[in-house]
Amino acid sequence: MSEEEVRAIVKLVMVDDIDTDQIFHQSLLTIHDPEEIKPHIFGNLDGYENFGKEDNTGKIILVGKNFGKGSTRQQAVTGFLAHGIKAIIGESFGPIYYSNAVNSGLLLVEVPDISKFDVKENDKLEININQSIIVNLSNNSSIKCAKIPQPVLDIMKAGGLLKLGEKM
Amino acid sequence: MASFTLIEKIIKNHTNVSDNEIYSGNILWIDVDLVTARDYAGPQVIDLFQEHYSGSNTFNNEKIIFTPDCYPYGNDPKHAKDQEKIRVFAKEHNIEVTDLGSGIGSHLLFRRGFSKPGDIAFGADSHYNILGALGILGQGAGDVMLAFAMKTGKSWIKIPETIKVVLKGDYEWPTTAKDLALFVLKELHEYGITGKAVEFYGDIIDRLSIEERVTLCSLITEASGVIGFVAADQKTVDYYSNVGINIEKISADADANYVSELVIDIQDLGQYIACPPHPHNVKKIKEVIGTPIYSIVIGSCTNGSAADIHDAAIILKGQKINPNVRFGIVPATREDFVSINLVGDMTTILEAGGNFFGAGCSTCAKGQYGLTGGETAVTLTTGNRNTQGKIGPADVYLASPVVAAAAAIKGKIVFPEEVIKK
Repeated sequence: MSEEEVRAIVKLVMVDDIDTDQIFHQSLLTIHDPEEIKPHIFGNLDGYENFGKEDNTGKIILVGKNFGKGSTRQQAVTGFLAHGIKAIIGESFGPIYYSNAVNSGLLLVEVPDISKFDVKENDKLEININQSIIVNLSNNSSIKCAKIPQPVLDIMKAGGLLKLGEKM
Repeated sequence: MASFTLIEKIIKNHTNVSDNEIYSGNILWIDVDLVTARDYAGPQVIDLFQEHYSGSNTFNNEKIIFTPDCYPYGNDPKHAKDQEKIRVFAKEHNIEVTDLGSGIGSHLLFRRGFSKPGDIAFGADSHYNILGALGILGQGAGDVMLAFAMKTGKSWIKIPETIKVVLKGDYEWPTTAKDLALFVLKELHEYGITGKAVEFYGDIIDRLSIEERVTLCSLITEASGVIGFVAADQKTVDYYSNVGINIEKISADADANYVSELVIDIQDLGQYIACPPHPHNVKKIKEVIGTPIYSIVIGSCTNGSAADIHDAAIILKGQKINPNVRFGIVPATREDFVSINLVGDMTTILEAGGNFFGAGCSTCAKGQYGLTGGETAVTLTTGNRNTQGKIGPADVYLASPVVAAAAAIKGKIVFPEEVIKK
């Protein structure tokens, strides 16, 4: 992640409390290759079972609150990176999921008032990281997002935590 | 002098920053006391380590442990290979392995004194925060964080806000710490503790055993909290002295800064149960009385201790498990296995028709998934997750070992009083 603005069309997955087992089921735990993880993403989430097999390349995903609660499952981050997902916007994230995402370079953006955001499937969004604002370019509405902490940006700019560790 | 909550104090002790850097929302680099991995994620941590830090040593081999606990039987050739990878790497780097049959890593950390109050421990287990029951900052982490921590001895953490939770009142057996934990989960989930830490207070806390405190703290993850703490008190000191370790008490400062205070009334609590499809879908047991149950598992880091199995044995003594029910017990650690054997609980449960399986994580990880499989196998476990599809395709309920044992006798959810022999 290098740019200060992220633009992409949005895929809505407005479900609260999505658990890591709904993102990538525990029966698949021995799978670690990103390309093999990819088709299983949301495979256990009612109504979104086909997400992993569809082309969602380059999209932003919009979710509800408590996204990624549950297990320490790194695959639940890897799978979105394999899809080329640019960012996940949600009201809140499970703390372990948040850290796993940052460490791997997946941008998570917290929007406390997400229910007030005027957005529909396939709208084009712009996340302005410096100004902590998300603009819906399709209808010109906008909403504030939580400031992304500097250490998080540093880790992501280094290309992830492991790259940072090579210099330590 | 600044005043700190427990988590602030522990984080502060693991950095070299000044007091004014300790505030909620700030992200800090911390030195960790212990890094662990297990047979889930451990092999990937090793792969990442070798890929990025080829030829490097770990930061300190005595501060790393591998605790394979997910797949006690290696019931897929892949698991056996994964476990072998751990043993080979551990040998090469002179790292301790608590190998198969030792049991759940998080429990071994306090049972064997690998971690002590005030320490920071990271592992590939989202319930590492159960260590908060002993005043240890335990945190679950993914493969990337763990590989980095094994190389550098460091990790990063966002200082969470802390909520002071006061439990007011008391309850009596057959209501147990699991009912308390479920009720508190329901209250905290409604209140909203995502990304926050909790400190538990109240007279009840003094009364709870270490095992009961672990049960209480084990459901914080299910409300997406960072950790639930019980300050390390005399009971904690005594617990450690039993394994020959001297520890200091640790608690929050008297005028620490809490984001809020929540009082939860637990007087005459009664029994609670988590209903599908979420752990926080907690109801009074009377709302689901009569629900048929076909598969029951007692185990997990939430309720797999010898004390938990003893609760079940009290109910099952001289009784028979319903022929429609498959009843499995998975002790948390080898030590628990020995304890239940010494006091006769193992015989009691075997005679009632129960089945014992090797110490480990039970159905929460895939390793003992088969215990609950099948479209019609409506399951009741003493664990911490019932997310739809997680442990078998049918509905899953979560309750105490007492409620589980009573259901095992009747083949349906019943009030424990119905089966307790007067």
